[in-house]
Amino acid sequence: PSAADRNAQACFLNCCLTLACANQIIFCNLLQAYAKFAGAPLIVNTINNSWSSPKADVPVLISEDIVISQPAKILNFLRKQRYNADYELSAKQGADTLAYIALLEEKLLPALLHTFWVEAENYCSVTKPWFASRIPFPLSLYLPGKMSREALNRILLTRGGPPLYSLTEVEAQIYRDAKECLNLLSKRLGTSQFFFGNTPTTLDAFVFGFLAPVYKVCFPRVQLQEHLKELTNLCRFCDDILTCYFKLTVTDG
Amino acid sequence: MLELSSSPASSLLFSLLSAKKAHGSSTFAALRCPNGSVFSITFSQARDRGRTSLPTIREAFLQMCNLPVRVVCRANAEYMSPSGKVPFIHVGNQVVSELGPIVQFVKAKGHSLSDGLDEVQKAEMKAYMELVNNMLLTAELYLQWCDDVTVEEITHPRYGSPYPWPLNRILSYQKQWEIRRKMKAIGWAGKSLEQVLEDVDQCCQALSQRLGTQPYFFNKQPTELDALVFGHLFTILTTQLITDELSEKVKNYGNLTAFCRRIEQQYFEGHDKDSSATASARCAKRDQCCQLNWKMELNSCSLLSDLGFTMELN
Repeated sequence: PSAADRNAQACFLNCCLTLACANQIIFCNLLQAYAKFAGAPLIVNTINNSWSSPKADVPVLISEDIVISQPAKILNFLRKQRYNADYELSAKQGADTLAYIALLEEKLLPALLHTFWVEAENYCSVTKPWFASRIPFPLSLYLPGKMSREALNRILLTRGGPPLYSLTEVEAQIYRDAKECLNLLSKRLGTSQFFFGNTPTTLDAFVFGFLAPVYKVCFPRVQLQEHLKELTNLCRFCDDILTCYFKLTVTDG
Repeated sequence: MLELSSSPASSLLFSLLSAKKAHGSSTFAALRCPNGSVFSITFSQARDRGRTSLPTIREAFLQMCNLPVRVVCRANAEYMSPSGKVPFIHVGNQVVSELGPIVQFVKAKGHSLSDGLDEVQKAEMKAYMELVNNMLLTAELYLQWCDDVTVEEITHPRYGSPYPWPLNRILSYQKQWEIRRKMKAIGWAGKSLEQVLEDVDQCCQALSQRLGTQPYFFNKQPTELDALVFGHLFTILTTQLITDELSEKVKNYGNLTAFCRRIEQQYFEGHDKDSSATASARCAKRDQCCQLNWKMELNSCSLLSDLGFTMELN
């Protein structure tokens, strides 16, 4: 799609994304990154009131009258509106994208959820206050706890069966998997600027979405961040995207 | 002696084992169901109580590594397994369950299929294996346990078949509740059947595009990924459910069906000709009676055969 087309589309497209909770920050980063790569004009709003998000579900894309709330559907919507970051990929590269995304979700996501929502020090000192400060009073008492319980539940149900019997064993396993996943990503990236050549694609957006919170948020307990910092090409990858596509540095908000 | 409790993952092991002949003895596989009858590992007639065994992923892996293996069917396989998951293998004193650890175990004994791959290819292989686990496995579980029609007509009778009433109903409801909880945690509970089928289609499309016109995913030699994909696709293609939608999705991709056919011919039909022991002679005859017809109708489904059956290597 030419720049002129995109501009024409821009006139008709008004989107806002809500930034609310920490694991959604993965998706919000991801969506912002994707939108930047594809050239879609996105207005990012930090909404203070979770009630207003239609299904109390974030992130949310609102385009004129259409409301879409799941990340995968939001990506599909952007594609159909002809903002497509994968225009120049071959079929095999498209297949690779799906495979690596599955790898991220299976191996990296549990450790991320744990770092943000389950690890007691991190949760109490960073995630909960930050999250609670952005939502209105009655919800701020209830919602962070709920998200924490859901994160723990998810980790235990998907990764917690025998022979891992205690939470510490599960934690050890998920961090091992996450570190292995980071190593695999680093090997795949190698020395190139993005995963498929010189232009960013959906996979870059996904990887950035998952890595940026780990890279940038200052937690008391940071074993994953330390491991990430050893993989210099992934750090360079995140920094490049932040400087090129995001004018402001991503803070913990 | 390698005892393997099988599930769709077993055909992986089975295939991988026959790629390198380890002991020189012919590969023998027998499936013994709880009621004592012996079936061949690849083809069997449906029975009301005993359940069919289909070449599953771990069987495929072991076949490809050319290791002799015997499949035995046990009703309490889930409890025998150290991780509660089937299949598992029993080698001498050791019991190893789940595909990942089994592959590592076999590798530690000196058999590996992915030695020839470089780092980037290994990363790619792991990513594709996660894709299959993420999409295909979850879709199979969804279809078995969250789709009400299938649950009533196929899954409950099948899962509870080795047990007397009321244990059969209690255990199968318990399993269903467990699976549904997991689906809810990962966000699949809200999906409709059409969405799940669409996800399967997307996954098959990715696999098909990756495979292209090559014989295996990493060109000339089969790897763990080939065995994993074979196990899932073969099970989907040859298991009869209420509707054919799931297998239709896979059949849309000609190169995937050709891939399954090729592996099945190379590793399973060859093995059948080798079996010579008396018990296996009975099997062999039964095999010939129930030769795999790609459109063969089976009366019961053993998708993710969680009845579990163990394989023994001799």
